[in-house]
Amino acid sequence: MSEILNIIAVGLLLGGVYSLVSVGLNLIFGVIRIVNFAQGEFVMLGMYGAFAAQVALHMDPYVAVVLVTPALFLLGAVVYAVILRPLGGEPMMQIFATFGLLMVLQNVILAVSGGAAYSVDSVLSSRSVSIGPLQFGLVRVVALTASSVVAAGLGLYLKLSLQGKAIRAVAQDRKAAQLMGIDVERVYTITFGVGAALAGLAGCLLSPLYTMSPQIGTNFILPAFAVVVLGGLGSVLGAYVGGFIVGLTEALAGYYIDPSLKDAVLFLMFIIVLIVRPSGLFGHAGAEEVGLREQS
Amino acid sequence: MSKADRLRAWAKPRGVPTFAFELPINLAVLATLAALVWAFRADGFSLNILAGAFLFAGLATSWNIVGGFCGQFSLGHSVFFATGAYTTANLYLKFHVSPWLALVPSAFLSAGIAVAVSWPVFRLRGPFFAFATMAFTEVLLSLAMYFDSVTGGSRGVSVPFRAGFANMIFRDRLSYAVLMLGFLAVSLIVLSAIARSRLGYRLQAIRDNEDAARAAGIDVLREKLVAMALSAALTGIGGALFLMYVRVADPPTLFSLFDVGVKMALITLIGGIGTIYGPLLGALFVVVLENFLRAELGGSIPGGNLIVLGFILIGTALFLRRGIYGALTGLVARFAGKPT
Repeated sequence: MSEILNIIAVGLLLGGVYSLVSVGLNLIFGVIRIVNFAQGEFVMLGMYGAFAAQVALHMDPYVAVVLVTPALFLLGAVVYAVILRPLGGEPMMQIFATFGLLMVLQNVILAVSGGAAYSVDSVLSSRSVSIGPLQFGLVRVVALTASSVVAAGLGLYLKLSLQGKAIRAVAQDRKAAQLMGIDVERVYTITFGVGAALAGLAGCLLSPLYTMSPQIGTNFILPAFAVVVLGGLGSVLGAYVGGFIVGLTEALAGYYIDPSLKDAVLFLMFIIVLIVRPSGLFGHAGAEEVGLREQS
Repeated sequence: MSKADRLRAWAKPRGVPTFAFELPINLAVLATLAALVWAFRADGFSLNILAGAFLFAGLATSWNIVGGFCGQFSLGHSVFFATGAYTTANLYLKFHVSPWLALVPSAFLSAGIAVAVSWPVFRLRGPFFAFATMAFTEVLLSLAMYFDSVTGGSRGVSVPFRAGFANMIFRDRLSYAVLMLGFLAVSLIVLSAIARSRLGYRLQAIRDNEDAARAAGIDVLREKLVAMALSAALTGIGGALFLMYVRVADPPTLFSLFDVGVKMALITLIGGIGTIYGPLLGALFVVVLENFLRAELGGSIPGGNLIVLGFILIGTALFLRRGIYGALTGLVARFAGKPT
């Protein structure tokens, strides 16, 4: 009994990590309809940002959030304005451009760090909490809590604030939103910035958990794509719930089938969902066909 | 006839170009490349680069069938690449079948897997198709790591050095360069034959507007599958040749998203997507540049070559959408006095 509880707990905590990483990806995906392959690299930059803040300013990674998140917002906004805006309406070129960005970011960090593996310490690193017979690392619990807070916060922001309403309007119908006086390009720039900032936030919060390498973003981006497809295009709730589904699948498959096959199980599930219900659990039906065509 | 007129006539053939029109150009291009190999015949370092460039030119050309002409952005071609490599390795190492003969089952098996996998996935469009193919790469990579009796698992397969024509293992680099040139020749001629046939035009119709193509009576799924099968068969042959060339490979190398699956697409894009000679130009440019940068920067700046490649990729997407080939034909047209 405690075995299965343990597996579920591990899965949920892992799910928290994936949710956190996926929310930003799905925001960009759902609103701008850009498949950002470099999203994992934004997470990676967040981690290295937390490391830099610790080395230079002796900051705890949880404090470094206040520096890293705005920095990534700016980076995201600049990337959108310089690289992706000119490619509007050409989704394939955008994919290639974000791939180029991925290569540049990954290897710039490799060149700067010389490939050395870094890790950061937090005051929370070695603490753990126990519930009944189960023990959890506090850092993972914080990540889980943060992803819940972020998902709820983003959901409320999109629902209630004027800016959020503008973002949703643009996501639904770009032309109509423009006719209502919404500055569509501004909304896109802000959305991409927010998406990048969320990735940076995730990077900071996850930095005490992982040993950093320039390629670490790739570990997040593939599960994050699975999360987005499972949860549904552009749905915050979908990304949140999808994260847990992916985390649980990974934990259960790792335990009951074979740890080395957990990726295979996960991605098989991903492909099946893609084929059976391409709009995902919480997405709008047909989004996979209409959503990525240029709205004219 | 003035010089400009002749150039214009050359740049714009009358009517619909046929395979008979394309084949002599193919052969001329291949003869030029053969001359290039001959010029470097004593230089092992350059021959290595040429062999790599020809291999990737052939791979990108085969990717172009489904990616460029049919508009289906497969990021999963490394699966077919690995299928070909493992089929040949197993037939050669376990059953002592000559790699030359093993190329046939390699091609068929790759095509079979491609059709089986693509059948359901072709329901998806655009980026969703790209995702699904990428996910398939991951599934098969972990399966390959798991079933180590076929793939050698994480240790990989290694082919012992037994030089000889029947074993497709050579002492000199020249033979490998010629071998890869042969692969490129096959890919190029197959692509030309497709591009200048009804199949090619149907594929382009699907790429440009799938719904309109269906309305015009094209069996969209069938044409896509044919394109995928041909493309995968050629990729499988490429994988088999790659394995015999490097003689040792593990799953992460063969299923590599960046070094195989995506690279084929990137080379095609940089060279000129949906054109016959674009992938070839792209491969010559990218592979030669990569080797140059690795030699120049590799030691001092780790990953420096990939930084440059990444910037080239972004630059191509932004400023050179029709790739190197598009830029060159644009130049030719301008010299011929035609407004671009």
